[in-house]
Amino acid sequence: MSKCPYHDPFAEKRTKGPILETEFDGDPVAMILGLKDVRKAARDWKTFSSDAPFRVPIPREENLRSVRQFPIESDPPEHTEYRKIVEPAFNRPNEPEYQARMTGLIQEMISETTSCQSVEAVSEFALPLQSRALTYLLGVPESEAQTWIKWGVHVLRDGDGPTKGKEMEHYCKEAFKRSSRWEENNFFSLLNEATFRGRLLTDDEKLGFANLAFAGGRDTVINTVCLILAHFAHHPDDLERLRKEPELVNCAGEEFVRFATPLTHIGRKCPADTEVHGAKVKADQLISLCWASANFDDTVFDKPTEIRLDRKPNPHVAFGNGAHTCLGAPHARLIIRTLLTQLTELVSSITFLSGQPKIEKTVDYERVNSFESLQLRLNLK
Amino acid sequence: MFVRNKSTLNERIENMAKVTFVTESGEEIMENDGTGNLMEIARQNDVDGIIGACGGVCSCATCHVRVKPEWMERVGRPGEDEQDLLELEGRADERSRLSCQIEMTDELDGLVVEVAPL
Repeated sequence: MSKCPYHDPFAEKRTKGPILETEFDGDPVAMILGLKDVRKAARDWKTFSSDAPFRVPIPREENLRSVRQFPIESDPPEHTEYRKIVEPAFNRPNEPEYQARMTGLIQEMISETTSCQSVEAVSEFALPLQSRALTYLLGVPESEAQTWIKWGVHVLRDGDGPTKGKEMEHYCKEAFKRSSRWEENNFFSLLNEATFRGRLLTDDEKLGFANLAFAGGRDTVINTVCLILAHFAHHPDDLERLRKEPELVNCAGEEFVRFATPLTHIGRKCPADTEVHGAKVKADQLISLCWASANFDDTVFDKPTEIRLDRKPNPHVAFGNGAHTCLGAPHARLIIRTLLTQLTELVSSITFLSGQPKIEKTVDYERVNSFESLQLRLNLK
Repeated sequence: MFVRNKSTLNERIENMAKVTFVTESGEEIMENDGTGNLMEIARQNDVDGIIGACGGVCSCATCHVRVKPEWMERVGRPGEDEQDLLELEGRADERSRLSCQIEMTDELDGLVVEVAPL
Protein backbone atom coordinates (compact mmCIF):
# COMPACT_ATOMS: atom_id res chain seq x y z
CA MET A 1 0.00 0.00 0.00
CA SER A 2 1.29 3.40 -0.90
CA LYS A 3 2.24 5.67 1.98
CA CYS A 4 1.16 8.64 -0.10
CA PRO A 5 -1.93 10.25 1.35
CA TYR A 6 -4.20 8.81 -1.28
CA HIS A 7 -7.29 6.81 -0.91
CA ASP A 8 -10.19 5.64 -2.96
CA PRO A 9 -13.30 7.29 -1.51
CA PHE A 10 -15.51 5.41 -3.95
CA ALA A 11 -14.49 1.84 -3.01
CA GLU A 12 -17.39 1.18 -0.67
CA LYS A 13 -19.84 3.04 -2.91
CA ARG A 14 -18.93 0.78 -5.85
CA THR A 15 -19.85 -2.28 -3.79
CA LYS A 16 -23.35 -0.82 -3.30
CA GLY A 17 -24.04 -0.20 -6.96
CA PRO A 18 -22.84 1.24 -10.24
CA ILE A 19 -24.08 4.78 -9.49
CA LEU A 20 -23.58 7.29 -6.71
CA GLU A 21 -26.60 9.59 -6.64
CA THR A 22 -25.30 12.83 -5.22
CA GLU A 23 -25.59 16.57 -5.82
CA PHE A 24 -23.45 19.46 -6.96
CA ASP A 25 -24.46 23.11 -7.06
CA GLY A 26 -27.77 22.05 -5.52
CA ASP A 27 -28.66 19.87 -8.50
CA PRO A 28 -28.82 16.06 -8.60
CA VAL A 29 -25.89 14.33 -10.34
CA ALA A 30 -25.64 10.59 -10.97
CA MET A 31 -21.97 9.61 -10.81
CA ILE A 32 -21.03 6.54 -12.85
CA LEU A 33 -18.43 4.61 -10.87
CA GLY A 34 -17.26 1.44 -12.64
CA LEU A 35 -14.55 1.47 -15.30
CA LYS A 36 -16.50 -0.37 -17.98
CA ASP A 37 -19.62 1.74 -17.43
CA VAL A 38 -17.59 4.96 -17.47
CA ARG A 39 -15.85 4.02 -20.72
CA LYS A 40 -19.14 3.10 -22.35
CA ALA A 41 -20.86 6.31 -21.26
CA ALA A 42 -17.88 8.44 -22.33
CA ARG A 43 -18.36 7.18 -25.88
CA ASP A 44 -22.13 7.63 -25.94
CA TRP A 45 -22.29 11.35 -26.68
CA LYS A 46 -25.87 11.20 -27.91
CA THR A 47 -27.18 10.09 -24.51
CA PHE A 48 -24.54 11.92 -22.47
CA SER A 49 -23.87 15.20 -24.20
CA SER A 50 -21.04 17.72 -23.83
CA ASP A 51 -23.14 20.43 -25.48
CA ALA A 52 -23.44 22.10 -22.09
CA PRO A 53 -21.55 25.38 -21.74
CA PHE A 54 -20.00 25.87 -18.29
CA ARG A 55 -21.40 22.55 -17.05
CA VAL A 56 -18.90 19.98 -18.33
CA PRO A 57 -16.65 20.70 -15.36
CA ILE A 58 -18.27 19.90 -12.02
CA PRO A 59 -18.90 22.17 -10.13
CA ARG A 60 -20.19 24.41 -12.92
CA GLU A 61 -18.16 27.42 -14.02
CA GLU A 62 -20.51 30.26 -15.06
CA ASN A 63 -18.98 32.46 -12.39
CA LEU A 64 -15.40 31.61 -13.33
CA ARG A 65 -15.24 32.40 -17.04
CA SER A 66 -17.17 34.31 -19.66
CA VAL A 67 -17.00 31.88 -22.59
CA ARG A 68 -17.83 28.29 -23.51
CA GLN A 69 -14.67 26.17 -23.67
CA PHE A 70 -13.72 24.62 -27.00
CA PRO A 71 -13.61 21.94 -28.18
CA ILE A 72 -14.63 20.19 -24.95
CA GLU A 73 -18.06 21.74 -24.50
CA SER A 74 -19.46 20.58 -27.82
CA ASP A 75 -20.60 17.31 -29.42
CA PRO A 76 -19.75 15.66 -32.72
CA PRO A 77 -19.88 16.58 -35.53
CA GLU A 78 -19.05 20.17 -34.44
CA HIS A 79 -16.63 18.87 -31.81
CA THR A 80 -14.70 16.88 -34.39
CA GLU A 81 -14.25 19.96 -36.56
CA TYR A 82 -13.30 22.23 -33.65
CA ARG A 83 -10.83 19.68 -32.35
CA LYS A 84 -9.12 19.35 -35.72
CA ILE A 85 -8.27 23.04 -35.61
CA VAL A 86 -5.92 22.64 -32.66
CA GLU A 87 -4.94 18.97 -32.93
CA PRO A 88 -1.73 19.61 -34.91
CA ALA A 89 -0.50 21.99 -32.22
CA PHE A 90 -1.27 19.50 -29.47
CA ASN A 91 0.60 16.74 -31.30
CA ARG A 92 3.87 18.70 -31.31
CA PRO A 93 5.15 16.75 -28.31
CA ASN A 94 5.63 13.78 -30.65
CA GLU A 95 8.44 15.66 -32.44
CA PRO A 96 12.04 14.84 -31.41
CA GLU A 97 13.06 18.53 -31.17
CA TYR A 98 10.21 19.18 -28.77
CA GLN A 99 11.19 16.17 -26.68
CA ALA A 100 14.80 17.36 -26.52
CA ARG A 101 13.64 20.77 -25.30
CA MET A 102 11.57 19.13 -22.57
CA THR A 103 14.57 17.08 -21.47
CA GLY A 104 16.67 20.23 -21.25
CA LEU A 105 14.01 22.05 -19.24
CA ILE A 106 13.58 19.28 -16.70
CA GLN A 107 17.32 18.73 -16.36
CA GLU A 108 17.73 22.43 -15.65
CA MET A 109 14.90 22.50 -13.12
CA ILE A 110 16.10 19.45 -11.22
CA SER A 111 19.63 20.82 -11.13
CA GLU A 112 18.41 24.16 -9.76
CA THR A 113 16.34 22.38 -7.14
CA THR A 114 19.10 20.17 -5.89
CA SER A 115 21.26 23.17 -5.12
CA CYS A 116 18.70 24.25 -2.49
CA GLN A 117 18.24 22.85 0.99
CA SER A 118 14.61 22.10 0.27
CA VAL A 119 11.95 22.91 -2.28
CA GLU A 120 8.23 23.52 -1.97
CA ALA A 121 7.40 21.20 -4.83
CA VAL A 122 3.96 22.59 -5.72
CA SER A 123 4.84 26.24 -6.20
CA GLU A 124 8.60 26.07 -6.77
CA PHE A 125 8.86 23.02 -9.00
CA ALA A 126 5.62 21.67 -10.46
CA LEU A 127 3.95 25.04 -11.21
CA PRO A 128 6.98 26.56 -12.97
CA LEU A 129 7.60 23.29 -14.79
CA GLN A 130 4.00 23.17 -16.02
CA SER A 131 4.04 26.82 -17.08
CA ARG A 132 7.40 26.76 -18.80
CA ALA A 133 6.53 23.53 -20.60
CA LEU A 134 3.24 25.04 -21.74
CA THR A 135 5.14 27.77 -23.59
CA TYR A 136 6.57 24.99 -25.78
CA LEU A 137 3.13 23.60 -26.52
CA LEU A 138 1.67 26.99 -27.35
CA GLY A 139 4.74 28.11 -29.28
CA VAL A 140 5.24 31.35 -27.36
CA PRO A 141 8.38 32.85 -25.77
CA GLU A 142 9.37 31.10 -22.55
CA SER A 143 9.33 34.46 -20.77
CA GLU A 144 5.50 34.38 -20.96
CA ALA A 145 5.59 31.68 -18.29
CA GLN A 146 6.51 34.29 -15.70
CA THR A 147 3.05 35.79 -16.05
CA TRP A 148 1.32 32.42 -15.97
CA ILE A 149 3.18 31.32 -12.84
CA LYS A 150 1.81 34.35 -10.99
CA TRP A 151 -1.73 33.07 -11.61
CA GLY A 152 -1.04 30.24 -9.18
CA VAL A 153 -1.92 26.54 -9.30
CA HIS A 154 -5.57 27.14 -10.19
CA VAL A 155 -6.16 29.65 -12.91
CA LEU A 156 -9.88 30.09 -12.32
CA ARG A 157 -10.29 29.78 -8.56
CA ASP A 158 -8.33 28.68 -5.48
CA GLY A 159 -10.49 26.11 -3.72
CA ASP A 160 -13.59 27.86 -2.44
CA GLY A 161 -11.87 31.23 -2.73
CA PRO A 162 -12.78 34.13 -4.98
CA THR A 163 -12.90 33.69 -8.72
CA LYS A 164 -9.96 34.96 -10.77
CA GLY A 165 -10.53 33.85 -14.33
CA LYS A 166 -10.79 37.41 -15.64
CA GLU A 167 -7.04 38.02 -15.46
CA MET A 168 -6.34 35.02 -17.65
CA GLU A 169 -9.05 35.98 -20.12
CA HIS A 170 -7.62 39.50 -20.35
CA TYR A 171 -4.17 38.03 -20.96
CA CYS A 172 -5.53 35.80 -23.73
CA LYS A 173 -7.29 38.67 -25.49
CA GLU A 174 -4.00 40.56 -25.54
CA ALA A 175 -2.10 37.46 -26.62
CA PHE A 176 -4.24 37.14 -29.74
CA LYS A 177 -3.12 40.67 -30.63
CA ARG A 178 0.56 40.09 -29.78
CA SER A 179 0.80 36.66 -31.41
CA SER A 180 2.07 37.94 -34.76
CA ARG A 181 5.33 38.85 -32.99
CA TRP A 182 5.89 35.29 -31.77
CA GLU A 183 7.11 32.25 -33.65
CA GLU A 184 5.19 31.15 -36.71
CA ASN A 185 2.14 28.99 -36.14
CA ASN A 186 1.92 29.62 -32.43
CA PHE A 187 -1.32 28.61 -30.73
CA PHE A 188 -2.79 32.11 -30.75
CA SER A 189 -1.90 32.95 -34.35
CA LEU A 190 -3.27 29.58 -35.48
CA LEU A 191 -6.58 30.41 -33.86
CA ASN A 192 -6.55 33.91 -35.41
CA GLU A 193 -6.28 32.31 -38.83
CA ALA A 194 -8.43 29.22 -38.24
CA THR A 195 -11.75 28.74 -39.96
CA PHE A 196 -14.79 26.77 -38.91
CA ARG A 197 -17.22 25.83 -41.67
CA GLY A 198 -15.91 28.50 -43.99
CA ARG A 199 -15.70 31.41 -41.55
CA LEU A 200 -13.07 32.72 -39.16
CA LEU A 201 -13.49 31.78 -35.51
CA THR A 202 -15.33 34.36 -33.41
CA ASP A 203 -13.51 36.12 -30.56
CA ASP A 204 -15.50 34.06 -28.05
CA GLU A 205 -14.58 30.80 -29.77
CA LYS A 206 -10.88 31.73 -29.80
CA LEU A 207 -11.07 32.71 -26.15
CA GLY A 208 -12.86 29.43 -25.40
CA PHE A 209 -9.98 27.46 -26.92
CA ALA A 210 -7.41 29.50 -24.99
CA ASN A 211 -9.38 29.22 -21.77
CA LEU A 212 -9.27 25.44 -21.94
CA ALA A 213 -5.58 25.40 -22.85
CA PHE A 214 -4.75 27.28 -19.66
CA ALA A 215 -7.30 25.77 -17.29
CA GLY A 216 -7.32 22.17 -18.48
CA GLY A 217 -3.74 21.09 -18.14
CA ARG A 218 -2.68 23.09 -15.14
CA ASP A 219 -3.47 21.63 -11.72
CA THR A 220 -3.78 18.22 -13.37
CA VAL A 221 -0.12 18.22 -14.42
CA ILE A 222 0.97 19.87 -11.17
CA ASN A 223 -0.87 17.30 -9.06
CA THR A 224 0.63 14.38 -10.96
CA VAL A 225 4.17 15.76 -10.81
CA CYS A 226 3.86 16.22 -7.04
CA LEU A 227 2.45 12.74 -6.61
CA ILE A 228 5.44 11.27 -8.44
CA LEU A 229 7.95 13.18 -6.32
CA ALA A 230 6.19 12.23 -3.08
CA HIS A 231 5.95 8.60 -4.13
CA PHE A 232 9.67 8.33 -4.78
CA ALA A 233 10.37 10.02 -1.45
CA HIS A 234 8.34 7.34 0.32
CA HIS A 235 9.41 4.49 -1.99
CA PRO A 236 13.11 4.83 -2.83
CA ASP A 237 12.95 1.22 -4.02
CA ASP A 238 10.72 2.28 -6.91
CA LEU A 239 13.15 5.03 -7.95
CA GLU A 240 15.93 2.45 -7.82
CA ARG A 241 13.93 -0.02 -9.87
CA LEU A 242 13.20 2.55 -12.56
CA ARG A 243 16.88 3.41 -12.64
CA LYS A 244 17.73 -0.23 -13.27
CA GLU A 245 14.82 -0.86 -15.63
CA PRO A 246 14.44 2.30 -17.76
CA GLU A 247 12.28 0.37 -20.20
CA LEU A 248 9.53 0.67 -17.58
CA VAL A 249 9.26 4.45 -17.96
CA ASN A 250 6.20 4.40 -20.24
CA CYS A 251 4.45 1.80 -18.10
CA ALA A 252 5.28 3.66 -14.91
CA GLY A 253 4.08 6.92 -16.42
CA GLU A 254 0.68 5.43 -17.15
CA GLU A 255 0.50 3.99 -13.65
CA PHE A 256 1.27 7.32 -12.00
CA VAL A 257 -1.39 8.98 -14.11
CA ARG A 258 -3.90 6.28 -13.15
CA PHE A 259 -3.07 6.57 -9.49
CA ALA A 260 -3.12 10.36 -9.49
CA THR A 261 -6.26 10.72 -11.62
CA PRO A 262 -5.92 14.47 -11.15
CA LEU A 263 -9.33 15.24 -12.63
CA THR A 264 -11.81 13.47 -10.34
CA HIS A 265 -14.70 13.50 -12.78
CA ILE A 266 -16.39 15.34 -15.60
CA GLY A 267 -19.99 16.16 -16.40
CA ARG A 268 -22.30 15.22 -19.24
CA LYS A 269 -25.79 16.54 -19.80
CA CYS A 270 -28.71 14.24 -20.64
CA PRO A 271 -30.67 15.86 -23.48
CA ALA A 272 -33.68 13.64 -22.67
CA ASP A 273 -35.06 11.79 -19.64
CA THR A 274 -32.74 8.84 -19.18
CA GLU A 275 -32.33 5.90 -16.84
CA VAL A 276 -28.69 5.32 -15.95
CA HIS A 277 -28.16 1.96 -14.26
CA GLY A 278 -31.39 2.39 -12.34
CA ALA A 279 -31.01 6.09 -11.58
CA LYS A 280 -33.59 8.32 -13.19
CA VAL A 281 -32.03 11.41 -14.77
CA LYS A 282 -34.32 14.12 -16.07
CA ALA A 283 -33.68 16.00 -19.29
CA ASP A 284 -31.07 18.75 -18.86
CA GLN A 285 -29.68 17.19 -15.67
CA LEU A 286 -26.08 16.03 -15.36
CA ILE A 287 -24.42 12.71 -14.92
CA SER A 288 -20.74 12.44 -14.03
CA LEU A 289 -18.08 10.18 -15.46
CA CYS A 290 -16.06 9.48 -12.35
CA TRP A 291 -12.54 8.83 -13.59
CA ALA A 292 -11.22 8.62 -10.00
CA SER A 293 -13.56 5.78 -9.14
CA ALA A 294 -13.13 3.97 -12.47
CA ASN A 295 -9.35 3.95 -12.12
CA PHE A 296 -9.58 2.11 -8.81
CA ASP A 297 -12.18 -0.42 -9.95
CA ASP A 298 -10.90 -3.70 -8.51
CA THR A 299 -12.90 -5.74 -11.02
CA VAL A 300 -10.40 -4.45 -13.61
CA PHE A 301 -7.26 -3.42 -11.69
CA ASP A 302 -5.59 -5.90 -9.36
CA LYS A 303 -4.89 -4.19 -6.01
CA PRO A 304 -5.68 -0.75 -7.41
CA THR A 305 -4.45 1.17 -4.37
CA GLU A 306 -0.91 -0.06 -5.06
CA ILE A 307 1.38 1.74 -7.46
CA ARG A 308 2.90 -0.93 -9.68
CA LEU A 309 5.48 0.46 -12.08
CA ASP A 310 4.98 -2.49 -14.42
CA ARG A 311 1.17 -2.62 -14.38
CA LYS A 312 0.07 -3.99 -17.73
CA PRO A 313 -2.51 -3.76 -19.12
CA ASN A 314 -3.48 -0.46 -17.60
CA PRO A 315 -6.70 0.68 -19.25
CA HIS A 316 -7.08 3.76 -17.07
CA VAL A 317 -9.27 6.69 -18.01
CA ALA A 318 -7.28 9.46 -16.35
CA PHE A 319 -7.09 11.21 -19.74
CA GLY A 320 -10.76 10.51 -20.39
CA ASN A 321 -12.02 8.23 -23.12
CA GLY A 322 -13.73 8.52 -26.47
CA ALA A 323 -14.04 11.63 -28.63
CA HIS A 324 -13.08 13.97 -25.81
CA THR A 325 -9.90 12.17 -24.76
CA CYS A 326 -7.56 14.80 -23.34
CA LEU A 327 -6.02 16.90 -26.12
CA GLY A 328 -3.05 17.67 -23.91
CA ALA A 329 -2.29 14.04 -23.16
CA PRO A 330 0.79 13.80 -25.44
CA HIS A 331 2.24 16.87 -23.72
CA ALA A 332 1.38 15.60 -20.23
CA ARG A 333 2.80 12.17 -21.00
CA LEU A 334 6.01 13.72 -22.25
CA ILE A 335 6.41 15.79 -19.08
CA ILE A 336 5.83 12.73 -16.91
CA ARG A 337 8.08 10.37 -18.86
CA THR A 338 10.85 12.96 -19.08
CA LEU A 339 10.56 13.70 -15.38
CA LEU A 340 10.81 9.99 -14.55
CA THR A 341 13.87 9.53 -16.75
CA GLN A 342 15.64 12.61 -15.47
CA LEU A 343 14.95 11.77 -11.84
CA THR A 344 16.61 8.40 -12.34
CA GLU A 345 19.57 10.03 -14.06
CA LEU A 346 20.13 13.00 -11.78
CA VAL A 347 18.70 12.23 -8.36
CA SER A 348 19.89 9.59 -5.91
CA SER A 349 16.96 9.98 -3.52
CA ILE A 350 14.20 12.33 -2.47
CA THR A 351 13.64 13.29 1.15
CA PHE A 352 10.08 13.98 2.30
CA LEU A 353 10.06 16.88 4.75
CA SER A 354 6.39 17.77 5.05
CA GLY A 355 3.19 17.82 3.06
CA GLN A 356 -0.30 19.18 3.30
CA PRO A 357 -2.81 17.14 1.33
CA LYS A 358 -5.31 18.84 -0.94
CA ILE A 359 -8.77 17.56 -0.12
CA GLU A 360 -11.86 17.82 -2.31
CA LYS A 361 -14.89 17.90 -0.02
CA THR A 362 -18.33 17.27 -1.43
CA VAL A 363 -21.70 16.27 0.01
CA ASP A 364 -21.00 12.54 -0.31
CA TYR A 365 -17.24 12.05 -0.42
CA GLU A 366 -13.87 13.53 0.42
CA ARG A 367 -11.01 12.87 -1.92
CA VAL A 368 -7.35 13.59 -1.39
CA ASN A 369 -6.08 15.00 -4.68
CA SER A 370 -2.33 15.56 -4.36
CA PHE A 371 -0.92 18.37 -2.22
CA GLU A 372 -1.60 21.95 -1.24
CA SER A 373 2.07 22.09 -0.30
CA LEU A 374 4.89 19.57 -0.39
CA GLN A 375 8.30 20.22 1.09
CA LEU A 376 11.03 17.96 -0.29
CA ARG A 377 14.76 17.73 -0.74
CA LEU A 378 16.10 16.28 -3.98
CA ASN A 379 19.49 14.69 -3.34
CA LEU A 380 21.84 14.77 -6.33
CA LYS A 381 23.53 11.60 -7.49
CA MET B 1 -2.36 3.18 -53.40
CA PHE B 2 0.27 5.39 -51.82
CA VAL B 3 3.69 3.82 -51.59
CA ARG B 4 5.95 5.51 -49.10
CA ASN B 5 9.54 4.59 -49.45
CA LYS B 6 12.15 6.35 -47.42
CA SER B 7 14.98 4.07 -48.51
CA THR B 8 17.13 5.00 -51.46
CA LEU B 9 18.55 1.52 -51.95
CA ASN B 10 16.43 -0.72 -54.11
CA GLU B 11 18.16 -3.84 -52.84
CA ARG B 12 17.36 -2.86 -49.28
CA ILE B 13 13.71 -2.30 -50.16
CA GLU B 14 13.42 -5.67 -51.78
CA ASN B 15 14.66 -7.28 -48.61
CA MET B 16 12.39 -5.39 -46.24
CA ALA B 17 9.09 -6.74 -45.05
CA LYS B 18 6.15 -4.75 -46.39
CA VAL B 19 2.95 -3.87 -44.57
CA THR B 20 -0.15 -2.11 -45.85
CA PHE B 21 -2.41 -0.03 -43.61
CA VAL B 22 -5.94 0.55 -44.88
CA THR B 23 -7.18 3.68 -43.14
CA GLU B 24 -10.75 4.48 -42.20
CA SER B 25 -11.11 6.70 -45.27
CA GLY B 26 -10.08 3.81 -47.49
CA GLU B 27 -6.58 5.07 -48.23
CA GLU B 28 -4.12 2.24 -48.60
CA ILE B 29 -0.64 3.01 -47.35
CA MET B 30 2.16 0.55 -47.99
CA GLU B 31 5.22 0.88 -45.81
CA ASN B 32 8.21 -0.95 -47.09
CA ASP B 33 10.97 0.15 -44.79
CA GLY B 34 9.40 -0.63 -41.48
CA THR B 35 11.16 -2.07 -38.50
CA GLY B 36 9.91 -2.50 -34.97
CA ASN B 37 6.25 -2.98 -34.16
CA LEU B 38 3.36 -1.99 -36.41
CA MET B 39 2.34 0.96 -34.22
CA GLU B 40 5.83 2.44 -34.46
CA ILE B 41 5.92 1.92 -38.22
CA ALA B 42 2.52 3.58 -38.60
CA ARG B 43 3.49 6.54 -36.43
CA GLN B 44 6.77 7.05 -38.23
CA ASN B 45 4.79 7.34 -41.43
CA ASP B 46 1.85 9.38 -40.15
CA VAL B 47 -0.78 6.75 -40.82
CA ASP B 48 -4.16 8.29 -39.94
CA GLY B 49 -5.91 6.68 -37.00
CA ILE B 50 -2.86 5.10 -35.35
CA ILE B 51 -1.88 7.21 -32.36
CA GLY B 52 -0.13 4.86 -29.95
CA ALA B 53 -0.59 7.39 -27.16
CA CYS B 54 0.67 5.21 -24.32
CA GLY B 55 3.84 4.23 -26.15
CA GLY B 56 3.00 0.55 -26.50
CA VAL B 57 2.27 -0.54 -22.95
CA CYS B 58 -1.33 -1.74 -23.38
CA SER B 59 -2.99 1.26 -21.81
CA CYS B 60 -4.76 3.28 -24.48
CA ALA B 61 -5.84 1.04 -27.40
CA THR B 62 -5.29 3.94 -29.81
CA CYS B 63 -3.38 1.67 -32.20
CA HIS B 64 -6.23 -0.76 -32.79
CA VAL B 65 -6.14 -2.58 -36.15
CA ARG B 66 -8.06 -5.42 -37.73
CA VAL B 67 -5.94 -8.05 -39.42
CA LYS B 68 -7.08 -9.28 -42.82
CA PRO B 69 -8.53 -12.79 -42.40
CA GLU B 70 -5.87 -14.44 -44.57
CA TRP B 71 -3.14 -13.08 -42.28
CA MET B 72 -4.67 -13.93 -38.93
CA GLU B 73 -2.95 -17.24 -38.47
CA ARG B 74 0.52 -15.87 -39.18
CA VAL B 75 0.00 -12.76 -37.05
CA GLY B 76 -1.37 -14.79 -34.18
CA ARG B 77 -3.85 -14.15 -31.38
CA PRO B 78 -3.60 -11.34 -28.85
CA GLY B 79 -1.72 -12.00 -25.64
CA GLU B 80 -3.58 -11.96 -22.34
CA ASP B 81 -2.85 -8.28 -21.51
CA GLU B 82 -3.76 -7.20 -25.01
CA GLN B 83 -6.96 -9.25 -24.98
CA ASP B 84 -8.02 -7.70 -21.66
CA LEU B 85 -7.68 -4.23 -23.12
CA LEU B 86 -9.40 -5.14 -26.38
CA GLU B 87 -12.37 -6.48 -24.44
CA LEU B 88 -12.90 -2.99 -23.05
CA GLU B 89 -13.03 -1.60 -26.59
CA GLY B 90 -16.63 -1.59 -27.74
CA ARG B 91 -15.63 -2.05 -31.36
CA ALA B 92 -13.19 -4.94 -31.06
CA ASP B 93 -13.88 -8.22 -32.83
CA GLU B 94 -12.09 -11.51 -33.51
CA ARG B 95 -9.75 -9.83 -36.03
CA SER B 96 -8.73 -7.07 -33.62
CA ARG B 97 -5.16 -6.56 -32.51
CA LEU B 98 -3.23 -3.72 -30.94
CA SER B 99 -0.61 -2.85 -33.52
CA CYS B 100 1.94 -2.06 -30.79
CA GLN B 101 1.94 -5.74 -29.94
CA ILE B 102 2.71 -6.97 -33.49
CA GLU B 103 6.42 -7.09 -34.22
CA MET B 104 7.27 -6.83 -37.92
CA THR B 105 9.14 -9.87 -39.18
CA ASP B 106 10.04 -11.37 -42.53
CA GLU B 107 7.21 -13.85 -42.06
CA LEU B 108 4.76 -10.95 -42.16
CA ASP B 109 6.03 -9.57 -45.48
CA GLY B 110 2.94 -8.38 -47.40
CA LEU B 111 0.71 -8.05 -44.31
CA VAL B 112 -2.47 -6.01 -44.67
CA VAL B 113 -4.26 -4.50 -41.67
CA GLU B 114 -7.26 -2.18 -41.43
CA VAL B 115 -7.01 0.78 -39.08
CA ALA B 116 -9.95 0.59 -36.66
CA PRO B 117 -11.96 3.76 -35.97
CA LEU B 118 -10.90 5.51 -32.76
